[in-house]
Parts: sequence; structure tokens; C-alpha cells
Amino acid sequence: MSRPEVPPLPLNIPGLRLMGQVLLLLVALFATQAQALPVYARQTGQNCLACHAGGQFPELTPYGRMFKMTGYTIGTRTEVPLSVMGVATDAFVANTNQGSVALANTDKNAQPVFAAGSVFLAGKISDNTGGFAQATYNNYDSQDPNGNSHGYLRSDNMDFRYADHLIDQERDLIYGVSLNNHPSVTDPWNTAAAWMQYVPAASTAAYQFADATTPFPQTAAPANTAGLTTYLFWNRHLYAEAGTYRTANGLLSLLSFNNTDAQTPHLAGGWNPYWRLAWSQEWGAHNLMVGASGMVAHLYDGNDTTSAANLGTARTSGLDMQYQYLLDPHTVTAQLVYNHQETQYSPATFAASPAAALTGVPAMDSTNLIRAKLSYVYEAKYGGSLAFFSSHGSANVQGLPDTKGYTWEAFFMPVQYVRVGLQFTGYQTYAGATTNYDGLGRSAGDNNTLMLYVWGAY
Amino acid sequence: MKKPLFLSALGLSLLAAGCANLQHSRNVADPAVPAKVLAEQVCSTCHGLDGNPVSPAFPRLAAQTPAYLTSQLNNFRGHGRSDPAGSEYMWGLSSHLTDEQIAGFAAYYAAQEAHRDPGAGKDAALLARGKDVFEKGVPEQNVMACATCHGPKAAGNDVFPRLAYQHADYIVKQLSVFQNTHGGRPGTPMAAIVFPLPEDAKEAVAAYLEAMPD
Repeated sequence: MSRPEVPPLPLNIPGLRLMGQVLLLLVALFATQAQALPVYARQTGQNCLACHAGGQFPELTPYGRMFKMTGYTIGTRTEVPLSVMGVATDAFVANTNQGSVALANTDKNAQPVFAAGSVFLAGKISDNTGGFAQATYNNYDSQDPNGNSHGYLRSDNMDFRYADHLIDQERDLIYGVSLNNHPSVTDPWNTAAAWMQYVPAASTAAYQFADATTPFPQTAAPANTAGLTTYLFWNRHLYAEAGTYRTANGLLSLLSFNNTDAQTPHLAGGWNPYWRLAWSQEWGAHNLMVGASGMVAHLYDGNDTTSAANLGTARTSGLDMQYQYLLDPHTVTAQLVYNHQETQYSPATFAASPAAALTGVPAMDSTNLIRAKLSYVYEAKYGGSLAFFSSHGSANVQGLPDTKGYTWEAFFMPVQYVRVGLQFTGYQTYAGATTNYDGLGRSAGDNNTLMLYVWGAY
Repeated sequence: MKKPLFLSALGLSLLAAGCANLQHSRNVADPAVPAKVLAEQVCSTCHGLDGNPVSPAFPRLAAQTPAYLTSQLNNFRGHGRSDPAGSEYMWGLSSHLTDEQIAGFAAYYAAQEAHRDPGAGKDAALLARGKDVFEKGVPEQNVMACATCHGPKAAGNDVFPRLAYQHADYIVKQLSVFQNTHGGRPGTPMAAIVFPLPEDAKEAVAAYLEAMPD
């Protein structure tokens, strides 16, 4: 296998000036409102780094995990339980040509854009209830037939909980129930499928090769579904969670907010089970989690739930591990995930694929993914990370999923609600090949992407 | 469909909001919640149920003197103590505490038994140097002996805090706070006392205090 070519670093970055101005504006805004914290910080009165390791979102500290597991109820109810965040990005794909024409979805390449913003309704409701509800405005959500992008505000992660904590000299047990819209969004560790992604992520189609679109762990059912899970955390060691998911429609349509019926994933019935087990150990400034999780989901191809020909089944299982060292001024995190997915295609999907004409090809595919990440933050201000991903699988119906590469990132947080970062994703293999993966001469290294971002929250 | 959904969510929220659970509450702004409940439900998350935290990022509170605990919680509540770790974690949590709750915390932690970190005191040479600093001070730098105020076994005395078994990392950092900030920790003569204390002496005395032989 040949090494991918590393693209030249752009010396004259056109978006730098704009992004610098955005950064200065954000710093000025937040510097004058030092007491105005995002909603959980307002609720507890604490600094972000109490809950987020080294201030890097969304990774949680042991205290942050306890805050989440006890239903977001530590502190006092805020009068305005709202927060907002926004991210501006500029990205550079190594080669935007495909054969003799421009590669699709690269019209925003090397242009600074306001990528996305979120609004959060979150916090303590009562002594036992609290929540986290995020809706995200994606400025490049979709394109019309003329190729113009349109932005939409849609549901993002949601998690509403009831929790209690039984603690005395004899026992320490947290238990709770969550109504949520994304399998594993309830998980306290950031190796869970819903949380391992680099944040902030690029959102535009032009940035299709940035880290956010590299292989990440999956659960059998996607986001914007409706789940009811119950969990416990015993003696700060054993975490167990189980629940089931269904379509987020009818009274549960809030969990798929502003998605049309066609955009909302349709699950068969109410039994699409999700489970999770983890063991956590803390010693000194170190903590370690080793866990496993899995899910089975029966998913329709579209929103026609009347025909069994549209119904397929996905199964996921995985092992994950996270280590943290947290002692000012150092924050170290190591994450390792193995994720296995089996997809049994619906009869309709299989019949429409070229595989149907072949003999002995099963109507299913499997994919294995290994993903690892090591990060370090100094003084909750200066940070960096290095991640590795490798997916490998069968190609009976899906295209070859084999994609392998790495991402590194360096970031700076001038104040706790602002982060500016530089992220690079390099590919060694893409869609099963190192060179000419598309038949038009593109090599995996052509997808290497450098991304600059400015992120802020309030 | 949307309106009934919104109304039912609102109704559930209001219903839930009206439910108080004083014996398991994590509401640090409710004067009706006893200090013991908050110690169990909130403080234990970092400081441990009995004031013996696992992580050295958080100070050991077990067996601490009630007068010192009261003074520090008052300082956090009034924003008088402004060292970074203290303000980042403690200002918000303490801002609505009542005097009665603060007295309750002081009594709760003072009554707990302090535990020595099993990994403490491995470096004999460092301990010997630390013992020397603790018991005799650093005469050439005009630093007085710690034992003078904190007691021969660092068990504390009224407003002079207990230091025995305290995490060495916490002690080193607080000594640096005394040395490097003006008014970061009010109501203590420590800034003047430890200002000339050399770096190696700080680490040695912190290691000795963390191990504090019987």
C-alpha cells in the first residue's frame, strides 16, 4: 500500500481574516460577560471544566458523568434554561477535481462559512428531573434543484430524565429513566456512538471529507428516533442501561423536531432494543472505563411501513474503553472503540441492487470499525489530539466500506466558551482503495482535508 | 398534533417542577435541604461521601476543623477566596448556602475519619526533608515551622486547618496560591509566611503531610 500524498498547506488562506474577526468579536462579547455562562454552568455556578475534561466539549469528567446520570439536577433551576452555540469553518480539500470536472459538493471549498448553530433547552426541572434538548440549524442542510443551499433548524440530541441517587455508608446507587431520541446519547462516556465525534463538526457538503464524515461507531437505529431507557450506576463502578426505540411520531414527534415524515427514521414496532454495560475505576487522578454495548433495530427503507418488503434489520455490537488523567494543568484522554455492524437489507433494497442478479450473494453486509483517539489539553486552554480510524467490511450490496486514515487537531480556548481549532484528516484508504477509488482517478489522499474553525457558546 | 404535545410537555414539566424531594435533593439554593443531604448528593461527587476524595484534584475534608471549613465556605460564598480551583468549582455551589447549612457541612466533615493515601510516603529522602521543613521551618529563608500553628501532627487547630493526609498536589498548589496571588485567599497570614519558601521545600513538606507518619 502506498502512502497517501500530503497536500500542500495553503499559505494564503482567504477565510483567515473573517474568522479572526469572528474570534475577536466572540472574545470581546464573552470577556465583558464573564458571569454569563452556558446554561448548565449557570445552573451550578461552576466553570465548564468541572464537567468537561480540560474544557473540551463534549467529553465529560467523572463529575460531569455524575451530573448527567443524576438527571442534570445538581444546582438550582435557572430562570432562562437556554444556551446557544455557533461554529464558523473554512476547509480545504487537497484535490477538488474528479477526472476532468469539479468534484460535486465542493463549491464551498476554501471559503469561510457560518456552518451551523444550535439552541439548547436544558437543565434542572425538579429535584429528580432534568433534560438536555438540542436543535441545530445547519446552514447547508439541503440544496434546491438550482444548487442553492438552504438552512434548517432540526432536532439534534435530546435526553429527558428522571433520576435518583441513593447514597449512604452502605450503598451508592444512581438509577434513572430517560426519554431520548438517539441510541447511546444517554451514555456518560464519550466513546459512545453518539458522542465520539469531533466537536465541532463541519456541516457543509463541501466538507464531506472532514473528520465528521469519516467512519464512526454506529448504533443499529439512528438519531431522531424515540427511546425509553433505564439505567443504574452502582458504587461508582458498574453502569448498566437497557431500553428500546421506536419511530418518533405522534406524541413523540418532538424528538424528531422539524423533520418531515419522510426524513424521520421509521422503525418497526416498539421493540428495537439497546443495551450497555460498563465498568469504571478511579484511582488518584486517573479513571478508566471498559464497556460493551449493542442494539438490534428493524428499520424501514423509507416511510412506507405497510410493506414488509421495505423492512431491514441492523445489528450492532461493540467494545469500548476510555482512560482519563485529570489534574490541573494536565488533561489526558485515550479512547479505543471496536464497533461491529451487520445489515440485513430489506427485500426491496436487495432486489434493486446488482447483487440480486448474482448467485449465492447474501442480502447482508457487515462492517468492522476500529477507532482510537488520544488527546491532551494544557491549562484548559491549549489542546491537541490524534485519532486513527479503520473500517473494513463486506461489499455484497453496499460499496466497499474500507476507509482508513487519521485526524489530528490543535486548538486554543482563549476563554472557556470560545475555541479556535485547526483540524486535518488524512486518508490512506477510501472506499476500498488507495488509488483510483472512483474509477476516475481520485486517490484516497486527494480527500485529505484541512479545516479551520471558530466555535462559540453562550 | 403539535399543540396537545406542547401542552402535555408543559403540564408534565410543571408537575415535575412542583415535586421536591428534600431527602435526595441536589438543589444547592434550597435552604430547606439539610447540609447532610447536600454533602451526600452533591459534595460527595468530588470530595467523597466521607470527605476522603479519590482524586487529588479535590481536597480531603475529612476530620478538618469546623472553624476552617466554615471560614472557607464563607469565603467561597462571598467570593473572597478567588484561587482558580476554588472559584471555578466552589463559588457557584456555595453562593446560596445558608449559615445553618455551612455550620452543618463543618460538623459533617469534622466528624469523618481522615484516611491516608495508601500510595503516600514512598520517597524516604523527600519525607525526611519534609519533616524537617514542617517541624523546623527553613531558618535561612526566615520561614517558620508549620507545626507551630498546625500542630505537631498537623491535625489543625481552630482556624488553622488540618493538613495531615491532605493530597500533596493540593498542598503544593495552595502554597503557590499563597505565594503568587494577592488576596486570593483572605484571612490568613500564609502569604507572608511562605513567600520565601523554595520550590523543593514545598514539594517535600507536601509529601510529608500527605504521608504524616503516626
